[in-house]
Amino acid sequence: MAAPQGQLRVKWYFISLLSITAVLFALVFGTGSGSFTDRLKPRLGLDLQGGTSITLQTKTSDNKPPAKDKLDEARNIIEQRVNATGVAEPEVVVEGDRNIVVNIAGAQTGDGFRALVAPAELRFRQVVTSTPDIDEAAVNATPSPSPSASGSPAPSASPSASASPNAAVSPTPEATAKPSATPSASASAAPSATPAPSGSAAPSPSPTVNPDVAKRKEEALASAKAAVGDANWQLAQQLIDNPSQFQGHEKDVYNQLKPFGKLTGAQVDALPLKMQFGVYNISCKQLGERPPGAVADPTQNVVACGKDTNTDPKTKKKTTSWTKYVLDVASVLGTDVADATGSYDTGWKVNMKFKSAGQDKWTELTKKAYNGGQNATQQNGTDRVAIVLDNAVVSAPAIQGVINGDAQITGSFSREDVTNLAAQLRFGSLPLTFEQSQAQTISPTLGSAQLKAGLLAAGIGMLLVIIYSFFYYRLLGTVIFLSLIMSAILVFGALVLLGRQIGFTLTLAGIAGFIVSLGVAADSFVIYFERLKDEIRDGRSPRSAVPRAWARARRTIISANAISILAAVVLYIFAIGTVQGFAFALGLATVLDLVVVFLFRHPIMAAFASTKAFLSPRVSGLGRVLNKPTEQGDTIISTNPKEA
Amino acid sequence: MAGLGLATRLYRGDAGLNIIGKKKVWFSVALTVLLITVLSFVFRGPQLGIDFTGGNKFQVPASVGDAKQVESAIAKAVTDVDPKGKTLAAVKIGGGEASYEVKTTSLNPDQSFKVKTALAQKFGIDVTKISDTQVSGAWGSQVTSKALTGLAVFLAIVIGYLVIRFEWRMAIGAVASLILDLTLTAGVYLLVGFEITPSTVIGFLTILGFALYDVVVVFDKVQENTGGILARNTMTYPEAANLAVNQTLMRSINTGLVALLPVGGLLFIGAGLLGAGTLKDLGLVLFIGMGAAVYSSIFFATPVLVWLKEKEGRVAAHTQRVFARRASLVEKGEDGVPTPRVPVFVDGGTLAPKPGQRPVSRPRKR
Repeated sequence: MAAPQGQLRVKWYFISLLSITAVLFALVFGTGSGSFTDRLKPRLGLDLQGGTSITLQTKTSDNKPPAKDKLDEARNIIEQRVNATGVAEPEVVVEGDRNIVVNIAGAQTGDGFRALVAPAELRFRQVVTSTPDIDEAAVNATPSPSPSASGSPAPSASPSASASPNAAVSPTPEATAKPSATPSASASAAPSATPAPSGSAAPSPSPTVNPDVAKRKEEALASAKAAVGDANWQLAQQLIDNPSQFQGHEKDVYNQLKPFGKLTGAQVDALPLKMQFGVYNISCKQLGERPPGAVADPTQNVVACGKDTNTDPKTKKKTTSWTKYVLDVASVLGTDVADATGSYDTGWKVNMKFKSAGQDKWTELTKKAYNGGQNATQQNGTDRVAIVLDNAVVSAPAIQGVINGDAQITGSFSREDVTNLAAQLRFGSLPLTFEQSQAQTISPTLGSAQLKAGLLAAGIGMLLVIIYSFFYYRLLGTVIFLSLIMSAILVFGALVLLGRQIGFTLTLAGIAGFIVSLGVAADSFVIYFERLKDEIRDGRSPRSAVPRAWARARRTIISANAISILAAVVLYIFAIGTVQGFAFALGLATVLDLVVVFLFRHPIMAAFASTKAFLSPRVSGLGRVLNKPTEQGDTIISTNPKEA
Repeated sequence: MAGLGLATRLYRGDAGLNIIGKKKVWFSVALTVLLITVLSFVFRGPQLGIDFTGGNKFQVPASVGDAKQVESAIAKAVTDVDPKGKTLAAVKIGGGEASYEVKTTSLNPDQSFKVKTALAQKFGIDVTKISDTQVSGAWGSQVTSKALTGLAVFLAIVIGYLVIRFEWRMAIGAVASLILDLTLTAGVYLLVGFEITPSTVIGFLTILGFALYDVVVVFDKVQENTGGILARNTMTYPEAANLAVNQTLMRSINTGLVALLPVGGLLFIGAGLLGAGTLKDLGLVLFIGMGAAVYSSIFFATPVLVWLKEKEGRVAAHTQRVFARRASLVEKGEDGVPTPRVPVFVDGGTLAPKPGQRPVSRPRKR
C-alpha cells in the first residue's frame, strides 16, 4: 500500500462524506420554513413537547383486523370531526392494522377534545316513556315533586298533524328537536300506565352477552342490593310494580330510598330496567356513569338520560334539566346514517341523510313513532325518537310524520348545538366501532422536562463511551470521538429532514433508541481495533496492519450491523406506537453508523497509520501490544491447545 | 503464567481460559436460570403495569406539595368520582420540573377530567399543568401480541440469515443463547418484581438484536479459526472454538462495556432523575438483558455450538485423530512438550494463514 495512493483514496472518502453531509443539510435548510433556528428543529413527539394523544382501537366481533379501506374511511371521518372542532393541526394517523391515533401537540385542555373523539355508538330508539330527573332540592322544594300523578303529556308530544308522509326529500314535518319542547316539571311521572311494552323490555341479559360481563353484572347487582338494604329494595320493587299507590308520598319514598342515590354506575347498570327508571333517587348523573356500552346493545330496551337546556324567556338565564327515558330496541344504528350537516334557515337545524338500507329502517321507525304519537292513550312521548350516543340521549325529537326521505331535526338550537349534533351523527356513522385504548395529555412543562432528561441521558452515555475509549484505546479514542460527533451530526440532520418529509417524530422512546445505537456504533470500533491489535500482535507494522484489519473487521461489522438493522426493521413493521419510534431511531442510527464506518473511520485510520504518532506505542493505545511482543509467547502457545 | 495477571492476558487476547471444556458448568447454569425463572413465574407471577391491567395515571407538578399531600388529594378526588377507585403511592419524577406520578384504577374520561379539575382547584394551579394518561388493559396486550409476532418473524428471518451466513448449528447456538438471555432477563424481572410495561417489552425486543449481534461477532471468529480445520490434524474443533472465544473475549468485554455504559446512563437518568417512565423502564430491561447477552455470547453460544458439532461424525473422528497424533508425538519423545507446534508451523506456512489466526502464524515469528 503505497502512501500516495492511500492518501488519494482517503481524500475521496472524506469528500464523499462531506458531500453527503452537505446535501443533507442543504435539504434541511432548503425545504424548511421559518427562521434559521426553526429549520433546525426536529419534530418532537407529544411526550417531549406536551399535547394530547388518543389511541382508538377497533373492536370487531371476530377479533380480526378490519379491512384497510374501512379503517381509512374511519380515519377520514375522525379527522374531519377533529378538524371541525377547530383544533390546530391535529394529526390523525392509522397505526398498525387496527389503531387510529389522534395527536394534538402543544398545550390543550384536551378533555373536551377527548370526549369528542371518544368512540361512540349511535343508536336511534323510540321513546317508550320519560320522566324528569329530580334531585333532593326538587323533592324538598315542593310538597309534591315533579313526578306527580298528573299524566299530562310532554308538550311536544302533541303531533302536528301537518305531516305529509310522502314528502320524500326533507319533509316539512320537523323531527322536532328536544330541548325546549321536552317535558318540564309537568311531565308525566306515571310510567305505570305503560311500562315497557313488550317482553323485550325485560332486562335479562341477552344470550350474546359475554359471560364475564354477565358475571360482573351479577356481582354488581348483589353489591347494589347489599348497599341499599333489604327493606329499601322491597320498597323499590313495590314502587316500580305499582307507582300509583305511592301518589302523594313521593317525598317520603324519596327520603326512604336515598341509598339508591349512592350506587355506582356499574351497580346502577346491573339494576333491572324498571328500577333504573322508576326509582326517583337514581339520578341521571349515576346513569351517565354506567360503564361504556351499557346501552349499546340494540336488541335491548334501555334507560338513558337527555340533557335539556332551557332559556328563561324573561331573564335569559339558562337552566339545565335532565330527563330520564325508557327507550325501545334500537332499530336504526349509527352505521345507517350517510351524512349529517348543520344548516340555518329560520333557525338552526340538522339535516340527516340515510344510507339506502338505513332509510327503510328509519322510515319504519318514524312510522311506528308517528303512530305511537297518534295513539291518544299513550301520551308519554312515544312519538319521539331518541338519538342515543354512548350512555346519553343526545336529542329526542318528536316525529311529526312518517319520514321516507332525509330528516331534519329542528328546535331551539344554537349554532354550536347544531355543529356538535351533526358531528356526533356523522361520527356515529363510523364504519367501525372503536374502543379508546390509550389517552394521555402531557403538560408542556413535563414534556420539555422529559426532553431535557432524555438529552442528558444521551449526553452522559456518549461521554462515558468516549471516556472509556480514551482510557482503553488512547489516541485511537480520538477516532471514536470524532466519528461519534460525525454520527451525531448526520443523525440530527436526518432527524430534522425525515420529520419534515415523512413525519417522523422524535419521542422519548426514539431518544432511547439513539442511546442504544451508541453502543452499537462504539462496538464497531471495538471490533476493528481488536482486530488491529491481533494484526500487530502477529508482528505486522501498524501501517500494514490497518488495511488487513479493516478487510477482516469490515465483514464482521457488516454481518453484525445487518442483524441490528434487521431487528429494527422487523420491530418497525410489526410494532406499534412508541415501539415503532424506538425501532426507527435504532435502525436509522445503525445505517448512519455504517456510513460513518465506511466513509470516515476507515479513511481516517488509513491516514493515521502513516503518521509518526500512530507508530509510537505509547500514544496509539496499541502500545501494550507492541511493547512485549515475544516475552510470553511460549506460555500462551502452550496453554491454548492443551486445555480443551 | 509467567507472572502475567489475568487482566493483561485478557488485554492481549491470551487469557487462555478453558471455556469450552467446562460445557457442563455452563449448561447447568443455564438450566438453573431456566428453573428459577419458571418457578418464579409460577409462584410470583409478573408484576404488570397499568398498560396491561388498565388504569389512569396523573402527574402533578411537585411544586404543589409533598408526595403524601398529592397522594391523598388524588385519592380523595378519585373516590369522589368513583367510590371504588383505588390509588397507588405517588412516585416522584425528576427532570427539569419535578412532578409526582400517581396511578389509579380505571376511570372514564369524564371522571378523570373531574379528578384533574378537583386537583387543580385544590392546589390552585392551572388544569393544563396536570398530565394524565388513561390506558385500557387492551393497550398492553396489543403491544405484547404485536411484539410476539415481531419476535416470531425476527427469529425466522435471523435463523435463515445465520444458516446462510454461517451454518445451521451456529443458528441454533445463537438462538439458544438468545433464549437464555430472555429467560435470564425475565427471571430477574420476576424475582425482583419489577413492573412490566410496554417499554419493557420494547426493551426485550432490543435485547434480541443485541444478543444476536454479539453472538455473530464471536461466531465470526469461530468460523475463521475453524475454517479448513478438518483438513489438518493440529487442533481439534473444540480447541479452535475455545481459542476463538478467548481471542474475542476482550472484544466481548469491551463491547459489553461500551454498550452498557450508555444504557447505564439511560438508567441513571431514567431512574435517578426522572424516577419513572419510558427511560427507566427501557434502561432497566436493557441493562439486565445486555449484561445477560454478553454472558451468554461468551459462555453459552459457543459451548452449544461445540456440543452440536461434536455430535457430527467427521468432527468427532477428527478430534480422535488429533488426539491420536498428539499421543504418538509424545511417544516419539517430544519430551512432554505438549504441543502440535511443529505441525502447526508446517501447515500454517503452507496455508498462508489469515492474520487473526495467532496460533498458526505466531511460530513463524520466532
